[in-house]
Formats: sequence, C-alpha cells, structure tokens
Amino acid sequence: MTDKIVVENIHKSFGNVDALKGASLTIKAGEITAIVGDNGAGKSTLVKCLTGLYTPDEGEIRIDGEPVRFSSPRDARDKGIETVYQDLALSDQLSVWQNMYMDRELVAGIPGFQFLRRGEMKRRAAELIADLAVNVPGVGRSVKRLSGGQRQAVAIARGVMWAKNMIILDEPTAALGLNETAQVEALIRRVVEGGKTVLVVSHNFEQVKRLSQQVWVMRGGRVVGGTRTEEVSGEQLVGMVTGAVRTV
Amino acid sequence: MTTQTPTRTRPSVDEAAHAVRRSLTSEETWMKLAAPVALIVLAIVLGSINPRFLSWPSITSMLADATIPIVLALGATFAVTLAGIDLSLAATVALGSVTLATAYQAGLPLIVCCGIALLTGLAIGAINGTFIGWVRIPDFIVTLGTLSVVMGLSLIISQGKPVQIPERALTAISTANIGGIRVNFLIAIALAIVLHVVLFRTRFGTHLLAVGDNPDAAKAMGLKVPRIKLAGYMICGAMAGVGAIMLTSYIGSSQPATNTDYLLKAIAAVVLGGVSLFGGRATIYGPVIGAILLTFLQSGLTLLGVSAFYSPLMIGIVVIAAATLMRGRK
Repeated sequence: MTDKIVVENIHKSFGNVDALKGASLTIKAGEITAIVGDNGAGKSTLVKCLTGLYTPDEGEIRIDGEPVRFSSPRDARDKGIETVYQDLALSDQLSVWQNMYMDRELVAGIPGFQFLRRGEMKRRAAELIADLAVNVPGVGRSVKRLSGGQRQAVAIARGVMWAKNMIILDEPTAALGLNETAQVEALIRRVVEGGKTVLVVSHNFEQVKRLSQQVWVMRGGRVVGGTRTEEVSGEQLVGMVTGAVRTV
Repeated sequence: MTTQTPTRTRPSVDEAAHAVRRSLTSEETWMKLAAPVALIVLAIVLGSINPRFLSWPSITSMLADATIPIVLALGATFAVTLAGIDLSLAATVALGSVTLATAYQAGLPLIVCCGIALLTGLAIGAINGTFIGWVRIPDFIVTLGTLSVVMGLSLIISQGKPVQIPERALTAISTANIGGIRVNFLIAIALAIVLHVVLFRTRFGTHLLAVGDNPDAAKAMGLKVPRIKLAGYMICGAMAGVGAIMLTSYIGSSQPATNTDYLLKAIAAVVLGGVSLFGGRATIYGPVIGAILLTFLQSGLTLLGVSAFYSPLMIGIVVIAAATLMRGRK
C-alpha cells in the first residue's frame, strides 16, 4: 500500500528542551499504524505536530507526497487530519450532534444572517452513528449522559465524519474498562475497513499487537525503529521501547 | 455500545412515556421549571392576599418595572454562559446614561445620543472581553477593575450632576403603551427573542456554549476562544448600553451614580433562570422570567407594607438559595 503520510526529520524544542530530535516515520493508507514509546519519548509532541497544535522547528510533513505546514488545528483539519484527543475534546453539556458538527455546523441563509440547519445535522449525525453500528442513545442527548465507551465512540464518529486523510487516536482506551475497550477496538477496525487511515498512540502493547499493522517505536525524541506488527512480539516491543533490544 | 446494529422493538408509545417519566425525574427539568413555577405561585399567593395585585394595570406596571432588570439579565446571561461574570454591568449603565446626556448637551440629535450610549456599553464590553480573552486575567478581577474605572469615569464626565433630558420621544419609551403593555417591556422582549435566536440558532451561539462548557475542548476543535469571549462580553456591554437608554428614558435625566441593585438583580435573575454558573448551559426565557419574578416579589413586599429596606436582603437570600440548588451541577 502507498504511503499516506510521511514525516521526515522533525525537530521541536521548547526552550532548552529538545522534545523531538529528528523524528521520521511513514503511515500507509488504509491501515492502522501505532506509535509506542515511554513517557517523554516524544510521542505526544509528534502527534501535536501532526494535529497542528505545534509547528515543527525543522523537518517536513507530506500528505500524499505534498508538503504541508500546519500552524493551527484548523490547518490540519483542512488537510483531512482529524484527531481524537485523549480527553476527547467533547463539550459535555452540548448534544451528540452539536459535538459532531462543532465548528463545522451546517447553516442556511445569506452571509450575516445564517441559521443552523439543526434537522439536517441531527439526521446526518444519526445516520453516521447507525452506519458505524455504535449504540449511542439518540444524537439529541447531551454528551455528559453517555458512558465512557459511548463518549469515545462519539469522538471517533466525529473523526470519521470529517477525516479525509487520517484519524489520529491518542490513547483511545486508556480510560475504559475491558468490555468497552473491546467495543472501541471493534469500532476502530470497522473504521479502517471503511477505507480510513488510522494512527494510534498507545501505552498498551497488547492493544498495539491486536490492532495495528505497522508499529513505530519512539525513544528520546527520535523514532528508533519501525516494523510490521506481525513480525514482532510484545516482549520485543517492550525491549525496543526501553532500549534493551537493539532496534530494527 | 454494541457491535451489532441496535434493534428497536419497544413500541413508540412506551418510549414516549419513558421519555416523559425520565424528564420529570431529571434535575434539569426542575431547574428549567423552577422560575416559571415560582412566578405563578408568587402571583397566586400575592393575588389572594390582595386581588389588586393581579389587576391588568398593576401587572403591566410591574412588567414595565421589570424592563431594565430583564435587559441587564440578558446581558449577564452571556457572561455567565461563558462561565464568567460581568461586575461592571450596573456601572456601565450609569456611564451610558452620562455619555448620552453629554452628547445631548453637545446638541447632537437624540437618536445619535442613544447610539452613543449603546457604543459606550459595547466599548466597555470590548475592554472586558479583551482582557479576559487575550490577556487571560480572571473575569472577576477584570470586571471588578472596570467597575471602578467606569464608575470613576461617569463621575468625572458628569461631575456627579444629573442632566435633565426633556425629550418626549425618549420618555415615550417608558410611558407609551400598546394595549396597556409598555413599549420598553416590548423592546426588552424583542431583544430576548433576538438573543434567543443568536444563542440557539447560530454557529456563534453554539460556539459560545461550547467555550463556556469547556474552553480546552473548544480550542482543540479549532474554535477561536478569545474572540468568542470578546463577542460574549460585547453583547453583555451592549445590553448595559440599552439599559442606560431605558434608565434615562424612565427617569428623564442622566444618572451618574451607579445603582448596584441592578447588578445584583441581573445576576440573581440569571441564577434563578437556571443558567449554569459553571457555563455552557443557558436559556434566554429563564433569566427573563427570573427578572420578572424578582420585580413581582419586590412589588409584592411593597404591597404588603414591607419596608423597601428589606429588598436587598431578600434578593441576596434568593441568589444564595438559587445558587445552592444549582451547586455542583455541571
């Protein structure tokens, strides 16, 4: 499969701290790629460069071969990269459909007098939820009334709705129980079967083994290795993350 | 969440009944109903003590008295929805009436003078919003500062002296009526309808609620949080400007001294109206009914021969009681 996203030699420093010291990796279209690494390895800084929250000091990000430069989350979204943040970035007191259309609301009317097309948004959000076979009890419900797994599903559904190129999932099941984790993993698989490209950041090596096709290991601000997931054992992954095993 | 498509076998009648039962037991429904129910109960109680209380002239005159509290409560709703507060609200009303009078003394047409009062409110709102949104000073501190600045400005500009504005067109706002209902009250209701549409039928309104609910999530979704806060505080300031015009119209002169009663009432009406003090959840009709409720309560006490000195005491108790009902609700 072709490379959807190429990250080349990204540097990012905060004052005296070099969070990324030349990180490079590739993400293939239509599969699940995982990034693993210990705390402070640079995973979340790299992800934030991909989501537009940080602008790299050096290096290049290419989507389908075309170099892109993000200076805000909006830029990344405009290029079809959606992020499901670890804290989900949901507005609890707003409804499911309002969250799914946040900042991309459908409106009707002339400029200056534009009103929300609430019916249309509710209908489409409900359709997508049904398509993804997610059991969310009504798109008109406020998000705070949903369970942890349902909230995660809403955040992922929002990503699916808008991601033309890639969905980034940051620790997608860190806060979930066993059952809900299995359900969210099943949802992620369906999303990829639907033709989307997914990048997962996870601490959970078992999950990385279960879900991903490709895994990249980060350590000390660099990507120190990458392999097809089927060719590596959980133990080897742990070794690569800690530096005990020489990397590929 | 299940991995299969959810199946719906329950008949819709059952579902509707279930929904009704669920909404009747939810706190949220009670919070939404609290102000209207309290208003009806109060009206019945006061009406049974003194039937004159519920006569049409008495009701319309109380509604007219509720006008300024309604308009200011509408403004305060936008600050509170952003999980903030605007302590400079009442002071801005005074400054607006002073700038209106100053423009009037300079010989400007009345409509321009009113425009200047409105601009004064917008400008104070813009200053509040800028410091809260971009400089990121807590709303409480910023508006406490502008409260003092604005209060000082009104006194400096006016030298503490009210200016008579004997213009019939202006006083007509508070005296003319349609079927007994005063024009100022109708204007307040029209403003409420416009702001309801803004809050619940536009993108901006949705974004305002989202920022009030969770600014971090809103930012992650690409919303321009400082800009939305600025707009919210400017709406609040504009309502203070409208309040200034109505106050000047009502009294027939400018009013350089700040009436803190207005601030208390506005915040009290917002709390009574079920707007979450933690931000992100609001209604427009709630604060409107809250303001009417407070005015009825005050008039009722007067009717019962209770001294006006008890009024601030009563409003204070009502605010704390309502806020207690709302505690921990997010």
